[in-house]
Amino acid sequence: MSQPTPLVQPLLLQFQQLFFISKIVGVLPQDLDKFRHKNMLEKSRNGMFYMLGVLSVYVVLYNLLIYSFGEEDRTLKASQSTLTFVIGLFLTYIGLIMMATDQLTALFNQGQLGELYERIRVVDERLYREECLLDNSCIAKRIRIMLIMTFIFEISILVATYINLVDYTQWLSLLWIVSAVPTFINTLDKIWFAVSLYALKERFEAINATLEDLVMEHEKYKTWLSGNDATTATVGNRTTDHPPQSSPPPQYDSNLEYLYKELGGIDVGSLRGSGSKNRNKVAPIAHSMNSFGESIPTPYKPQRMNTNPMINMAHESELSNATKVEEKLNNLCQVHDEICEIGKAMNGLWSYPILSLMAYGFLIFTAQLYFLYCATQFQSIPSLFRSAKNPFITVIVLVYTSGKCIYLIYLSWKTSLASKRTGISLHKCGVVADDNLLYEIVNHLSLKLLNHSVDFSACGFFTLDMETLYGVSGGITSYLIILIQFNLAAQQAKDAIQSFNSFNDTAGFVGAATEMDNESSTLYDMVTTTMMSPTY
Amino acid sequence: MIQIMNWLSMAIGLIPLNRQQLHSNFLVDYVMMVLVPCLYLIAYFGIIVMQRFGLAFLDACNSVCRLSNNLFMHLGAFLYVTIFVMSLYRRKQFFVDFETHLAEIDVVIKKCRQVADLDKSRVKAVKHSVAYHFTWLFVFGVFIFALYYDASALYGTFGEYAIIPFMVSSFPYLAGSIIQGEFIYHVSVISNRFEQINTLFEKINQEARRRHAPIQVFDIESEGKKQERKSAVIATKTAFGIEQKLADEMKRQKSPHEDEDEMNTSDEEDDDIFDYNDTNTENTESTSETNLPDLFKLHDKILSLSVLTNGEFGPQCVPYMAACFVVSIFGIFLETKVNFIVGGKSPVLDYMTYLYVIWSITTMVVAYIVLRLCCNANNHSKQSAMIVHEIMQKKPAFMLSNDLFYNKMKSFTLQFLHWEGYFQFNGIGLFALDYTFIFSTVSAATSYLIVLLQFDMTAILRSEGLMT
Repeated sequence: MSQPTPLVQPLLLQFQQLFFISKIVGVLPQDLDKFRHKNMLEKSRNGMFYMLGVLSVYVVLYNLLIYSFGEEDRTLKASQSTLTFVIGLFLTYIGLIMMATDQLTALFNQGQLGELYERIRVVDERLYREECLLDNSCIAKRIRIMLIMTFIFEISILVATYINLVDYTQWLSLLWIVSAVPTFINTLDKIWFAVSLYALKERFEAINATLEDLVMEHEKYKTWLSGNDATTATVGNRTTDHPPQSSPPPQYDSNLEYLYKELGGIDVGSLRGSGSKNRNKVAPIAHSMNSFGESIPTPYKPQRMNTNPMINMAHESELSNATKVEEKLNNLCQVHDEICEIGKAMNGLWSYPILSLMAYGFLIFTAQLYFLYCATQFQSIPSLFRSAKNPFITVIVLVYTSGKCIYLIYLSWKTSLASKRTGISLHKCGVVADDNLLYEIVNHLSLKLLNHSVDFSACGFFTLDMETLYGVSGGITSYLIILIQFNLAAQQAKDAIQSFNSFNDTAGFVGAATEMDNESSTLYDMVTTTMMSPTY
Repeated sequence: MIQIMNWLSMAIGLIPLNRQQLHSNFLVDYVMMVLVPCLYLIAYFGIIVMQRFGLAFLDACNSVCRLSNNLFMHLGAFLYVTIFVMSLYRRKQFFVDFETHLAEIDVVIKKCRQVADLDKSRVKAVKHSVAYHFTWLFVFGVFIFALYYDASALYGTFGEYAIIPFMVSSFPYLAGSIIQGEFIYHVSVISNRFEQINTLFEKINQEARRRHAPIQVFDIESEGKKQERKSAVIATKTAFGIEQKLADEMKRQKSPHEDEDEMNTSDEEDDDIFDYNDTNTENTESTSETNLPDLFKLHDKILSLSVLTNGEFGPQCVPYMAACFVVSIFGIFLETKVNFIVGGKSPVLDYMTYLYVIWSITTMVVAYIVLRLCCNANNHSKQSAMIVHEIMQKKPAFMLSNDLFYNKMKSFTLQFLHWEGYFQFNGIGLFALDYTFIFSTVSAATSYLIVLLQFDMTAILRSEGLMT
């Protein structure tokens, strides 16, 4: 609902170009007009039909492509390099599957996506009220850069492959253009995810920056105070220096207070429990006025027990006013929780596309390298992976695919870290103010923050952080080595058979060998090894 | 030792000259950082383009040798270029920042030490252990041996042009190791600060222990069971070795306590003991606990410093560890599959194999030290939280008097929980720099080696005429 006086610009304002392109290509089904006028993502039936139509056209074209180029694979079948053939067969449809996953999930989630951005807008407004300003303009820049990068990569791969490796004398070869469609659509979809994730990360960082600003402000305030009356120490030191020097109230008193606290402990706990539900009831520690008095930087001691701390304080920094800052910290903490929830919801929306992307990235990366190896050994490779014939195109493809995956992983890792950082910044506030009431608040909120975790995962199979990347890179290398080993072994066996055959033909080794010629190939292997070994 | 390493890294252009001053001649500072990489790149591309001076272009070099030499050279180029780019990106700002932060921390630590009356033991802290010197000597020995071996072998082959192949064979690994040495130095400084903080915490902890007994007595205010209490008092008194005379007096009084009449006197005794202890410990107590907020701030600051350091050096760890891994695997592979079978037949091939083995050992040593120090620093930082918890459990007197200290300590431990989730020494998040990394690499290396060792080299060796 567009408000009469919008406090903040909606995030979706930055998505104009991206939405336009996604709409045309058929990544998102939402209504274009509504988006343009209200910056809202709304369900649209026409969009859904349009998208389904586009999807079916893509599927038909892709199948046509596979059929028309599949004829070249006959030689592959004939040459009996089964490993290459099977891998090619497996990976024929993976691009299509990935694209279909993206589009179908977008169809299913078309209502929820709008809600998600609405929630982000609400969070922005709340942050704005906490004087925590966000700059969304760099997001538009990011989108533009990502789009340009996508176009450059796609077009360079397509054109280079088409010119170098496709026989463009036939008009059917134009179908090759379709081969770029799945990756392109997938990238557009992932740009949505990446940019939204980046926006979340910015919000976390804004919260952290606000907290750090509070700390800085208070430190300035303290130095100002200490500069004001150079005779006394700074506020923080005063609280800690004074009690030992002038604590005439004997231990008696304090111990009684301790006992009193022990007795009242249950009460405090129950109050705290309710505090987590009702945000205005956090830190109900007003029962012990002793703790109040001790903590407050009051120069005169006799009144320490009874003075209301709020009276004799100079308010320069926000942190010195505990009740005021409590409200703010509480709100920030809740916004943090809300952002975490949004992050989880977003992860839920994109969980299947991300899983398919990661699977695609892993398989394609391995396959491309393997086919590159095959191509350097002058073996035939599946026609859909002809870009592996040229090392430079391969490098571009690999950079493009891995760049997509790694960027998403890196971003989710960074977002997760930024959300964890908030707890540390919060504690800094507590430490710098050195105030008992504030400590209570901070401790309470910190426990809450410990439980808000935003860990991005792909359907729960694996978390999206850098350690997964480390594991995956290890997996790719070991699979590659195994594949190359098998390929080598198969090649050696084939060579051995051929050389043995030619050996048979030339030398008059007729008798025993020709009999075995009719036998199975395993026998051949045995013979070759037994024949060859004495000569070594 | 650190000085030598710093000079060396300045000499080969890995850190800028005058790195501590922010305002000095820009040109002078970075001249080495431009010259040396240029030299390296000239040597590298010169060998590739001119097809001369490389080991791979010698007639004596067969296909196995050529392959391994190329791998070694390109891996080195990858290592050096990535490390150099990151060093250039870091520039001086980091060193200046690090020093200023460290100076701030040191000032506070000094203050805390004065408060805690720990200055006497400082002399001990500066002195390094035997293991420290031994490690340095060992590392230097290993490096000098590696460099000497490579230089002498290359000099024997190429004469006065040996510097060109040397630049592409050993130099990148040397540069990478020196950068790791810088990392080690910075981490050890951080680790040292953590240790100092821990001693300060430990001091407070000990004081709390000393003051534990009288509080226990004081706590039980109710009447009855005087007898047990009495004996407890005596036990604690003797245990903490407070003036034997008084204790003896107590013991003498123990037997009369059987009578109920002695109630009052024993009460008096209790109060006496309490007062005595209180006055005895009051001085140290009041000085040491005031350190706590400063110490908490310090801990936070040092952790921030570690984040800064890790942000600078962590990315450089990744190519280094990768290079170490690859070189080690190929070192083992060449040693077992080539050198055992045809060792001594081709001197160039032997040289390549030994080069692999030597550098794999050298890089592994450096990597191990990095991991060890990072692990140490982590453990030290964890230990502070443990000690604080111990203090909290003991409920010393200063904590009972007010809520503030309790909340402060709780806040600190909670903050440490957050830190634990947020930070650990790592290589851009790919792997944590601790002993688990060794386990994961060793297991990965084993599986690669099993695959590699199946690789049949006999045909290749035979075709090179090394085997009959």
